[in-house]
Amino acid sequence: MFKDIFLFELKYRRARAANYIYFGIMFLLCILAVTTDVVQIGGAVGQVKENAPIVIGQMVVIMGVFMSLISSAIMGVAVLRDFEHNTEAILFSTPIKKFSYLMGRFWGSFVVLLLVASSIPIAFMIGDIWPTREADRLLPFNLITYWTPFFIFIVPNMFFTGAIFFASGALSRKSIVIYTQGILLLVLYLASQSMLRDLEQKEIAAMLDPFGVRAFSFYTQYWTPGERNTLQIPLDGYIIYNRLIWMGVGVLVLIATHFFFSFNVVRNSIFKSKAVKDERLLIKPEETKIPGAQQHSGLSTSFGQLLKLTRFYFKMVFKEVPFLAIVIAGMLLMFLNAMNMNELYGTSSYPTTYSVLGLLSGFNLFFVIIAVLYSGELVWKERAVNLNLIIDAMPMPDFINLISKFLGLLLVYLVLLFGLIVCGVVIQAMYGYYKFEIGVYFSSLYSETLAFLVLYTLLSMFIQVMVNNKFLGFAVAIAFFILVGFLGQMGLEHPLFQFGSGSLGTYSDMNVYGHFVTPFTWLQIYWAAFVVFIFAIAVIFSVRGSESVMNMRWKAGKLRLSRQLILLIAGSVLLFGSTGFYIFYNTNVLNDYTNSEQRKDLQVDFEKTLKKYEFLPQPKITAVDLKVDIYPSKRDFVAEGYFILKNKTENPISEIHIQEDMTPGNTTEYLKFDRKNGVKEKFDKFKYTIYSLEQPLQPGDSLRMDFKTNFTTQGFVETGRSNTQVIYNGTFFNNQYFPSLGYNNGGEMSDDNDRKEKKLPERERMMERDDPRGQNMSLFGDDSDHIDFNIQVSTDKGQIAIAPGYLVKQWEEGDRVYYNYTMDAPMCNFYSMISANYAVKKDKYHDINLEIYFHPGHEYNLDHMMEGMKDALSYYEENFSPYQYKQVRIMEFPRYASFAQSFANTIPFSEGIGFIAKIDDPDKDIDFTYYVTAHEVAHQWWGHQVMEAGVKGNAMLSESMSQYSALMVIKHKFTPEIVERYLKYELDRYLSGRAGERKKEQPLEFVEGQGYIHYQKASLIFFALQDYIGEDSVNAAFRRFNKEWRFKDAPYPTSADLLKEIRKVTPDSMQYIIHDMFETITLFENKTDSATYHEISENEFEVSLNVSAEKVRADSTGIETNIPINDWIDIGVYGKNVAGKDSLIYLKKHKITKKENAFKIMVTSKPRKAGIDPLHKLIDRHSSDNTKGLVKK
Amino acid sequence: MQLIIQNLNKTYSNGVQALKDVTLTINQGMFGLLGPNGAGKSSLMRTIATLQEADSGSIQIGDLDVLVQKEEVRKILGYLPQEFGVYPKIDAVTLLDHLAVLKGIRNKSERKGLVEALLHKTNLWQARNKNLGGYSGGMKQRFGIAQALIANPKLIIVDEPTAGLDPAERNRFLNLLSEIGENTIVILSTHIVEDVKELCTDMAIINKGEVLYKGSPIDAIAAVEGKVWKKRIAKTELEEYRKSFNIISERLIAGRPEITVLQEGQPDNTFEQTQADLEDVYFTHIFGNSKKEEVA
Repeated sequence: MFKDIFLFELKYRRARAANYIYFGIMFLLCILAVTTDVVQIGGAVGQVKENAPIVIGQMVVIMGVFMSLISSAIMGVAVLRDFEHNTEAILFSTPIKKFSYLMGRFWGSFVVLLLVASSIPIAFMIGDIWPTREADRLLPFNLITYWTPFFIFIVPNMFFTGAIFFASGALSRKSIVIYTQGILLLVLYLASQSMLRDLEQKEIAAMLDPFGVRAFSFYTQYWTPGERNTLQIPLDGYIIYNRLIWMGVGVLVLIATHFFFSFNVVRNSIFKSKAVKDERLLIKPEETKIPGAQQHSGLSTSFGQLLKLTRFYFKMVFKEVPFLAIVIAGMLLMFLNAMNMNELYGTSSYPTTYSVLGLLSGFNLFFVIIAVLYSGELVWKERAVNLNLIIDAMPMPDFINLISKFLGLLLVYLVLLFGLIVCGVVIQAMYGYYKFEIGVYFSSLYSETLAFLVLYTLLSMFIQVMVNNKFLGFAVAIAFFILVGFLGQMGLEHPLFQFGSGSLGTYSDMNVYGHFVTPFTWLQIYWAAFVVFIFAIAVIFSVRGSESVMNMRWKAGKLRLSRQLILLIAGSVLLFGSTGFYIFYNTNVLNDYTNSEQRKDLQVDFEKTLKKYEFLPQPKITAVDLKVDIYPSKRDFVAEGYFILKNKTENPISEIHIQEDMTPGNTTEYLKFDRKNGVKEKFDKFKYTIYSLEQPLQPGDSLRMDFKTNFTTQGFVETGRSNTQVIYNGTFFNNQYFPSLGYNNGGEMSDDNDRKEKKLPERERMMERDDPRGQNMSLFGDDSDHIDFNIQVSTDKGQIAIAPGYLVKQWEEGDRVYYNYTMDAPMCNFYSMISANYAVKKDKYHDINLEIYFHPGHEYNLDHMMEGMKDALSYYEENFSPYQYKQVRIMEFPRYASFAQSFANTIPFSEGIGFIAKIDDPDKDIDFTYYVTAHEVAHQWWGHQVMEAGVKGNAMLSESMSQYSALMVIKHKFTPEIVERYLKYELDRYLSGRAGERKKEQPLEFVEGQGYIHYQKASLIFFALQDYIGEDSVNAAFRRFNKEWRFKDAPYPTSADLLKEIRKVTPDSMQYIIHDMFETITLFENKTDSATYHEISENEFEVSLNVSAEKVRADSTGIETNIPINDWIDIGVYGKNVAGKDSLIYLKKHKITKKENAFKIMVTSKPRKAGIDPLHKLIDRHSSDNTKGLVKK
Repeated sequence: MQLIIQNLNKTYSNGVQALKDVTLTINQGMFGLLGPNGAGKSSLMRTIATLQEADSGSIQIGDLDVLVQKEEVRKILGYLPQEFGVYPKIDAVTLLDHLAVLKGIRNKSERKGLVEALLHKTNLWQARNKNLGGYSGGMKQRFGIAQALIANPKLIIVDEPTAGLDPAERNRFLNLLSEIGENTIVILSTHIVEDVKELCTDMAIINKGEVLYKGSPIDAIAAVEGKVWKKRIAKTELEEYRKSFNIISERLIAGRPEITVLQEGQPDNTFEQTQADLEDVYFTHIFGNSKKEEVA
């Protein structure tokens, strides 16, 4: 009997078109995902191949989550359809057993579901042999790669979701349940992600995730690029537990279904259906009199009609099922992306309104679909249902029809945008972030997004009217978008050609929408004029009645050419032309316009022409004296002054190579030397001039170079290329705007793919550590060693201007304020000029003045910053050397960039990374603001007191040492638990960072600008180092290193010099860790296999531990080899302290020489858990298995 | 008020001449427009209803130039196209109310009363809250009639209104029209001769875009009275008769053709004279004339 029902189910389903459509949709999505950028799910990064098992696995798992929608449709109807088709009475009266019926239907449908789901691996397989794929980004085809995730993830997921949907369909007997339960499950699942993410124990999250996504990512999170390319997804660890748990749930659900399913046809309904009254007899058509009604016309009637129609079309769109489907799909995708927000937005873990707005912009694609589709649908609405002749004969003005359709859509957009804001707020709340900036939501979405919607809708309506064929209209609209994109590719990137161009840029509390508002407004007017014009044309040509031939439409349209309409057309043309002209005048006449290809070519040309001068000996800047006048309201500055250049080489220098800054708007008014010279060669294109001195500059001799630089902002440029450093409020620029000496390789093209395309050789990221040319220049470049510095900065009244040095004089003159800063000791040739409307907070640490210049309203974290400065100064002065200045100043700058940077006694700090950060739980969360402050203050030592050489490994000396210094400040300030949490976070970021390495992972001593190494890995390593050899010893090494290199000119120290000092303070028995930590990539695999204890007496407990420890070396791609272990590793036992929290009652390093080890440890209070390396001092990819709860024996 | 159509011409882009020099004067009351399918009835009506352009000629209603002052015309117009549809997901009350707004009836309660009355009148009250998508053909037609009556139009144009109505509904509708037609211009197009005979004081027969006859049905019948002859013949004789007589209609009765001939005096004694009917007038103009043309 089961067999018959099962086979019948298969046969029945085989004939259903829906199943083939489901298959087709999934197939198409998957194919598009791997062959185009239209659909994006997962994907490969850097060295990981596009069809690596983990990449395919990820995509299969994600698509599998979406399969639950189809699962709902297929499994839900298995029993329900008997009720829908009223066949249940026939069926249930046959002698079928309930079990056979249910199981036959279930398994039959389930097999169909799996066949549909097989579209996913099949599509990926076909996608990978697709001819357009690049062979060098693919691994050889391997069948297992595609089917393993299918069987491990999709099959159990389909079973679990299928069981639930089958049950709800069979038990509820309602079709609405079928339509909604899939979506509901998905939404609940996505919503639960935030809870799962916040779970301290990723293991529990891995178990609880019904689709196994978290188990998958938990298992594979730290796979290196090498492993990602080779390892298959295993049925192992938490993956297998997770799968068993959820299949078990599925079985339980099926059992429950059998138990609760009733074979009775009629169920008592809770609600009695209302009796329908028969009014037929009451009405006598013949006797009805049609009452009179006043007919109105004129403006107010038209207005009323407009409102009515607008509302009418608005409601109509909202009743459309496809519309709702598009909206739901868009929202789902957004929530899906919200899950990955951390990965998407790099460092920021807070869902600030700006980043959520970025996320919400993902909905724009759906907006375009809605705009194109529904402008077409509405334009054609009456004709589609054949009501057009009736409506067209109604006495309303001609424009009302089109305008009301547009306004109806506009209303739809307003509602959707509001919905998006709600979504944004929900996403923020999901992450536990409650600083809802509703104003920013509104001002972004209801200006930028709405403008773009209005433009696209009017354009699309115009196309529909003119083409006068709905599907052709869609095609033309799409062709138009492609054309616009194509124009961009052809080099027509100019905003005047890019339909709907203009953006509000980045929002900042300090600068608000700043100078972006002007170009945005002009461009919006320009495009608005354009669409109003074409819309007016559309009104003329819109079909009213039965004429569809163009000349007849024109004949009818001519009659519509009222004075007002003609004025509107003339006005919009005039406005379009004049704004277009004005924009062009701004972007191309007042400013130089280049497109991206031209800029790339310039870079290539620059490198090819001038690279030969790269290492030409040049004098060095030894003194800087400048007058800089900043005009924030005009976004201008003028800098005038001189550099003293000294020949520090052993040979005379007769040519001076000057590179003027190439920032648009920046010009050098004059540049002269205090001795006779001529221009030998001038490369105007690159602003590079070779001056030849009549009298060569002798070794040890100096000359003075006077110059004046004008930075002038004229009009505006395209939003993407506008200057965000010299702005209305929060100007922050540095000396890169001034002339520099010799060839600067920073102007070269750095992206490997671009270089390949332009046939330039591959470029090393940095010079080798022993390269003497590199050792002779500091991290700040080869223009200078140290400089004497004097500067006068001025700005508009109301703002404060700041530069490095001490304020020696301040005065006002007219509406300007002047500040004179002088540095009393040589400093590095790197200085910032800042101007903003600041509030100031002052304090003192001993005789050091502490000042914070902040945006009024951003007071939240000032105390933390002050404290950070004090604690940092205190620790560094005590342990390293005295602070070289009498002052530390922090100043806030807008979030166009999000970093903090140390200049001499001056630390600009982005508003985006600390000023508005919120520390939720000071007991649990690290105070990031405090930490960054400490880090930047440390740079006054590491970077300013000691400048390092510009070679591989340099960041270990500035960034890593600052990282360590700040960590020590943290260690003395906060509880060990917070430090532990912080380190765990750093471990996670290091391991994920190396998983995404694009070129090659370096050991710490050769780090080449890789943040995950010089910040994250360095935190772990230096923390472990001070644990192994003692904080004092590390500090002693730092102190000696500081003493040896402090304030020295070239040659500069490298990582080898620091390691030398560290070796000196490291006992012989520990020397091996230097090799492990700094010179190689070494990882551990530590695990507690079993842990028991035995109570000998009330205060004597014997803990027995079996632990395993492995040590591996990784090469630059992450391929690992085991090496013998012979290491000192912590063994620890936790008890409970008085507060009831875990606390260490035993912690000691043991020498571990083999993989399997057994320990017996005596403790004096009751132990709770124990294990190996409990504080995660070593880099271990599975850090959570290091300890285990103790079992009493 | 009079509707005066003068020398109206219209040729479609595919070359079909839909209206040839149409000149008509239509007074208040019911005006029947008779003609076979494709005769140009709908083209003429759409042109009067401001929904189609004319190549030349003029249409005047009262002081209004229909071809130019479209909006003014639409204010006094009630129009029921030959074929039309509805928004399927909306009920009759909502759509009628919607259309009443478009007609310019601003007062909400007036609108409500009007909509209710129209629904009563067209016997749709019972189904008023049902989505229009679920209406049968007849119900939909009645809805069309209801909307054409919104706001007491002075000019009602109904294109084949009785198509799809059952006899009872058809009667009811025709009564309704005649009731309204007392002080309104009602133009009714149909190819059902009965409709015109029962209702219209005035009529025109049009075929291939040309007006073949205009006048009152009674005059029209009078003009052919005594000239209509009938005969039942064998199928094989049909060709023979076609050649020799001015046959205006042929029909089968119990499988055998019966021909109608228009002629002064009895063609021969096998023919019987019959009472002239409007249908004969119709066929006379449609077929009788064409025959003459061919002969000429």
